[in-house]
Amino acid sequence: MNIDRRKATLFGAAAAVRLLLFTGFPGLPDLLTARVEISTPVTSFKRLQEGLYLYNHNVSPYDGGVYHQAPLLLPLFALLPSSATYPAFTYLLYIIVDLLSANALMQIADSGEAGSSKLYTSPRKDKKWSSFAIAAAFLFNPFTIATCIGRPTSVFTTCAILHAISKAVAGNSFTSMFALSFAAYLSMYPILLFPPLALLCFDRKRPMKGQESVYNFVFGNAMAVAGSMYSLLHMSSLITGSWEFLLSTYGVQLLLPDLTPNVGLWWYFFIEMFDSFRNFFLGVFWIHLSSYVAGLTIRLRRQPLFVIVTLLGIFAIFKPYPSISDTSLFLAVLPLYRHVLPLMRYTFLASSTILYATLLGPAFYYLWIYAGSGNANFFYAITLVWSLGLSVLVADALFAVLRDEWEVERPEMKGKEIRQI
Amino acid sequence: MSAKTEASEALEAEGSIVEDTATAKNQEVPANAVNVAPKKKEPPPESPASIRLRQYVIASFWAIIILVGLPIWWRTTAIYRAKLPLDQMMDWADGRACRPVFPLRISIEADALQDHEAQHLLRTTQHALDDLNEFSAHHLRLQLSQPANASVETTGLSAGAGDEEVALTIRLLPGTTTQADLQAYSPILDIQYTPNQVPSSSSSASSLANYIANTLRGLFAEEQAMIAYLLSTSSAPPERSPKALSPDVAESLARWTTRSLKYSRTYHLTFSLFTPAATPSSWDIEAALEEYMKPLLASFSEISNFTIDTQVQLYATPGVSGNVLKKEDLSGFINAAEWPLSPSIGGAPTVNFILYVGDMEVEGGGKSWLIPQWGGVVIQSDISDLRPAMLIFSNQLMSLLGAPEAGSLPLRLMTLVRVRSAGLLLKASGTMGSLARLTLALPSISIPRSVAEGVYTTIEHLRKACDGLGGKEGLENARIAEEAAEKAFFEKSMVGQVYFPDEHKVAVYLPLLGPVGVPLVMGIVKEFKAWRKRRRESR
Repeated sequence: MNIDRRKATLFGAAAAVRLLLFTGFPGLPDLLTARVEISTPVTSFKRLQEGLYLYNHNVSPYDGGVYHQAPLLLPLFALLPSSATYPAFTYLLYIIVDLLSANALMQIADSGEAGSSKLYTSPRKDKKWSSFAIAAAFLFNPFTIATCIGRPTSVFTTCAILHAISKAVAGNSFTSMFALSFAAYLSMYPILLFPPLALLCFDRKRPMKGQESVYNFVFGNAMAVAGSMYSLLHMSSLITGSWEFLLSTYGVQLLLPDLTPNVGLWWYFFIEMFDSFRNFFLGVFWIHLSSYVAGLTIRLRRQPLFVIVTLLGIFAIFKPYPSISDTSLFLAVLPLYRHVLPLMRYTFLASSTILYATLLGPAFYYLWIYAGSGNANFFYAITLVWSLGLSVLVADALFAVLRDEWEVERPEMKGKEIRQI
Repeated sequence: MSAKTEASEALEAEGSIVEDTATAKNQEVPANAVNVAPKKKEPPPESPASIRLRQYVIASFWAIIILVGLPIWWRTTAIYRAKLPLDQMMDWADGRACRPVFPLRISIEADALQDHEAQHLLRTTQHALDDLNEFSAHHLRLQLSQPANASVETTGLSAGAGDEEVALTIRLLPGTTTQADLQAYSPILDIQYTPNQVPSSSSSASSLANYIANTLRGLFAEEQAMIAYLLSTSSAPPERSPKALSPDVAESLARWTTRSLKYSRTYHLTFSLFTPAATPSSWDIEAALEEYMKPLLASFSEISNFTIDTQVQLYATPGVSGNVLKKEDLSGFINAAEWPLSPSIGGAPTVNFILYVGDMEVEGGGKSWLIPQWGGVVIQSDISDLRPAMLIFSNQLMSLLGAPEAGSLPLRLMTLVRVRSAGLLLKASGTMGSLARLTLALPSISIPRSVAEGVYTTIEHLRKACDGLGGKEGLENARIAEEAAEKAFFEKSMVGQVYFPDEHKVAVYLPLLGPVGVPLVMGIVKEFKAWRKRRRESR
């Protein structure tokens, strides 16, 4: 079929580009792995190697204090031939994960959930990009490619989140919840996606005989998430032999002991913070990150998918160890809302700010770390700009969607200039 | 944080109303409403559903702040102040909890005397001693040593003290002249007396008793002065400190305190040979240490332990040149920049002894000197015989460790034990007082549990030390108490917030929480106003 051939071509091209980069530039994977923009302490491929080495030598992988990732990744990578001798297998794994994510993204796009959900249909819903274009935008996004070449384990989280959404729009709530648990198991923060995802499942489930109330449904799904989380964690404790991994994985995300620079806002703040206020501000930052979930879910009850999109954008800015991998996920799902893009007001500002930060970030990092002619403020300033660009984009998309909803309420205002009061 | 405000503003504001202004005048104003036109146009009324939605959104933010944020704020910024026994601590500091008393037992062996004579002599001597002594903390108590036939009733003054250590034994020996002879290696004082000095049982005083009392007093004068000096420099109540010491005694005692090293259970001794040329490249230090130093160190074993190392350094030039060293040159003699003299590494303080090969001389003829709290230097041109140097080093070591200068070795060591315990006891008590005052003066500092534990350890060991003052156990307890007290006082996490007044907290909270808080507070205020307006209109 035509669609299938196009899809195969797209995936083949995406895989070819990645393979070419992997094999044509043998130094590139290690170079990108060492970049702070791609590898954070909780996702770095280098640290994974360290944990893997310890694991293969029957030492607790968390003993060195270097490895902070989920235990189940270890048996997976232990099955593969060592990436030092046969890197091709690792490359293939990461390429496949990217293609799986793209596939899930195409399913989300094909469902049309973005344009018309159960409770709301946008008047602009016909103005959309094909799933092919959206997948292409994801697969050929330089951020995605760089992430794939840098091999952080966050790609697994990305894949799991996209699958959770695609299963949710397909109405398979339990599969979706399992995928969400897996994402949460790997990186913890995706658990915050549970409320909108459960509502999305509820909206998309196939109509059954008995009408189930939303509370019962959400409760059932919460049980499903708790059950699968528990079994994953229990498996981990069997693998590592103790529950100590909890402190080394989720404890690190919660308490931020590793202040390696990254594109986020936390590291610099907690370098500067007085020790006695450190715990308080850790609490504040986490509350800040999670406080959006309830408000957005209530306000955008009619479009739960967009809540997820917005939350992914917020996570990419405010989570403790963000990387461009989170940005690439946000930029992957944003094109689903192609129909509201014309309503956005600051697209030029946001995109140019992001481009500016993308180009200057590595340069400033170089000035600080290698050339020694700059200091930490250089890099921090550019991460502020980066976060500003992303927040403008998130807030603007939110505005556009709200305006889209509002125009349904008041059709006479369509296309007119408005002001917030 | 800009994004937070932006996003939440967007949420709340967008959630409410999006209003059109540009087109309002042109289209919606009716043609006949001329006098209404200048008035600002009101937005169309909101639907109840959207009002409720907005209330839910605002409530969800506030619920998180109140249910999660406030408890976290409370938990993480509360200052933990462990309860300290402040009264007890102040008691120790003011000397109310412990009266440092050093009862020294002195046993008299008088085999040549009749029992009742000996009793009488003892009583009169004790009287004479008590008359001479004006310092109650340091008290000499006489007792008759108990020969095999002695019964308990002879020990009226020493009942129940049988197991206590005897500080000194006096052996009364009949002889031709009256003379006292302190034995060098055991705590025994031989006193010879002429037979006519034996007091008759009726007389209340005798020359022998006075002689013994004066001799004893002379023996213990230095120790008494030391303890008196320690008490006078501590914060003990004035009525207990002894009458003022004479200025030159006080001066020599001040020198003594500056000279001696801080007490430690272990000291490290470094013996170094420095020579300005290539020879001599070796010295017979091992044998010399074995012969002259080890016995002394062994006798110290109950007070402190020692570790030893030695080194030889060739082509070592001293910090000053010339064959005659002036007094002011001595401080520069040690070439600190080039000589490899390690500072105290690890727990134990290091005592340095330096033997310099050369024929220099200190102005006035000396060839050795002592560097306070650091070590000693000996200059010697011929090192084939190390005996003189070792003897000087031994002496210097005694001074550096704080032993008194006069008396026989056992007496000096015992004095050292008592003086050190008193010093440590007073220091630990003083630290307790400082900690208590600090706690009261700075209500904003945190007091971790470890500090409270340290305080209780200190008080427990202070109590034990006070009860066993004068003995080896007392010294050990005093040392533990002092260590625990210092550790508690210098607890790092305690002083972190000393220089952190409340005004600074505004500077910590406001830059972050201010921008976040403004939209939240404004949201609730606006919502409240709108609710009041709606209610007024509906009425």
